[in-house]
Amino acid sequence: MSERKQTTDDRNENSQRTTGEYDGLRNGRSGHETGTEGRREREGGDGRARATGDALVEINELRKIYDPDGAHVTAVEDLDLDIGDNEFVTVLGPSGCGKSTLMECIAGYLEPTEGEVLVNGDPVAGPDPSRGVVFQSNRLFPWKTIGQNARFGPQMRNAVDDDRIQQLLDDTGLTGFEDSYPHELSGGMQQRAELVRLLANDPDIMLMDEPFSGLDAMTKELMQEMLLDIWEEEDRTVLFITHDVAEAIFLADRVVVMTARPGQIKDVIDVDIGRPRDSSVLTSEAFNEYQERASDLIHDEAERAMEQKQQETQEA
Amino acid sequence: MDAARLAKRGISIASILVVWFVVSAVGPETLPGPIAVATTFAEYVVDPVYWSAVGLSTARVLGTFVLAVLIGVPLGLLIGWNVVFGDFTYPALELIRPIPPIAWIPFGILVLPTLAFSLGFANFEVQTTVVFITFLGAFFPILLNGIEGVRGIDDEYSRAAHSLGAADWQTFRHVIYPGALPSVHTGMVVGMGLAWVNLVAAEMISGGGLGFMTWSAYTGGSYPVIFVGMITIGVLGYLSSTIVRYVGASQLPWMESAAA
Repeated sequence: MSERKQTTDDRNENSQRTTGEYDGLRNGRSGHETGTEGRREREGGDGRARATGDALVEINELRKIYDPDGAHVTAVEDLDLDIGDNEFVTVLGPSGCGKSTLMECIAGYLEPTEGEVLVNGDPVAGPDPSRGVVFQSNRLFPWKTIGQNARFGPQMRNAVDDDRIQQLLDDTGLTGFEDSYPHELSGGMQQRAELVRLLANDPDIMLMDEPFSGLDAMTKELMQEMLLDIWEEEDRTVLFITHDVAEAIFLADRVVVMTARPGQIKDVIDVDIGRPRDSSVLTSEAFNEYQERASDLIHDEAERAMEQKQQETQEA
Repeated sequence: MDAARLAKRGISIASILVVWFVVSAVGPETLPGPIAVATTFAEYVVDPVYWSAVGLSTARVLGTFVLAVLIGVPLGLLIGWNVVFGDFTYPALELIRPIPPIAWIPFGILVLPTLAFSLGFANFEVQTTVVFITFLGAFFPILLNGIEGVRGIDDEYSRAAHSLGAADWQTFRHVIYPGALPSVHTGMVVGMGLAWVNLVAAEMISGGGLGFMTWSAYTGGSYPVIFVGMITIGVLGYLSSTIVRYVGASQLPWMESAAA
């Protein structure tokens, strides 16, 4: 990671994100570190590995219980996580493990049952334009054109910067589609347009919930590269949720691996691959090692998640 | 539409005329044939009395329809959007809704004209019953489709709007209202149809317009006029629903199916 972002000269001056500094993570319930060995030396006296710099997002002992008709489903339990400024964190977990719940708590859509989510030290109280969200199913407004969608955020505060929006549309190859409606575009273009809408609003934090899961493999790879390009150019913190092991490693500074429900953090992998990255990284030896390790970690959890699902289906 | 398809549809209409012709030739004397009806129709088309009935009925439907849209759309959107507002209003409306429009007619005749008169709407008393019954027909489909339209919008659109910085009223303006419009439009098409149904029923009993013209043709024994009335009502109902459908579709260019 020491060589990362050499191409972007000024962005890391204030946040030296070398390995270990942001291992701000601990499995609270078991009370001991479940993280990777040898990466915990900076851990504080309170038993919690924290970011030594300013954590932009701080999640403390988060628990979220859904209780529809007394069913009492614990989606997330005792989850601690710090996310540093300008860090790219991916959350990798089997389906139904509470990844989305975690994201929705940060976005401000859900209130934690217990624990807290702090952004810049303040508890999250509802959605805010500084925390932008990209949804799993494309959520461009179907009744607005691509141009209107892109302008939406700034328009809400009467601060539309046409040059910036035009630049974003150019960068994502959407010029000429400003007057098209979302349904007239391909899936990949729709996802790019949603990204433009988000970036036009200039959020500090981008929360992305499996945004590329509906795309074909080729488009997905291009989208990942594009996302990294955009991220390298501008200061932004990303929390990216996925169940795709390769995607999680390719994008991330850190991969947070989650357990099956109730969602806890199983382990955190620091991805020490230089940036900027492109698809050639995918065939490197280092990448394969990370992938193997992540796959091992997630395999048992995926099995457990599947069993849970079968059980639920039988009960229903 | 290609010629073959037009021909098939032409045959469909022609066959109804043929059946009508045959049945009237061998059937009861009270059933006039297509030719007798066409002759009477030709006389009526040049008669100002006919056109005043057409004008009155059309004006009543259009006026009430606009009223139903102005009240039903905002009310439906608010009920669907705001749980508290919905709790205060929806049960009362649901209680009124199942009462058939015709069952309102005695109430309308007994109460509404007096009410209108005492409220100062002199010269409007005769209209009130018909307008009220017609309104019920247009109002409820628009209201219910408005409510359903809002409830059918995925929450994630509102979430997206809020995360992009939209305040509640902006979310209503940019997400709830446009998102519910396709359903509201369906409600308007249905409402326009029901407005004509209710109008004719109300006019037959409390007076005026095409409903009364048709009914008095029956009581007066001029049977072809009954059919003139029926056909006119059918054509006007079809025309107004079609206009609502096309105007609506032109306002919803983002609908995948609205391209046609």
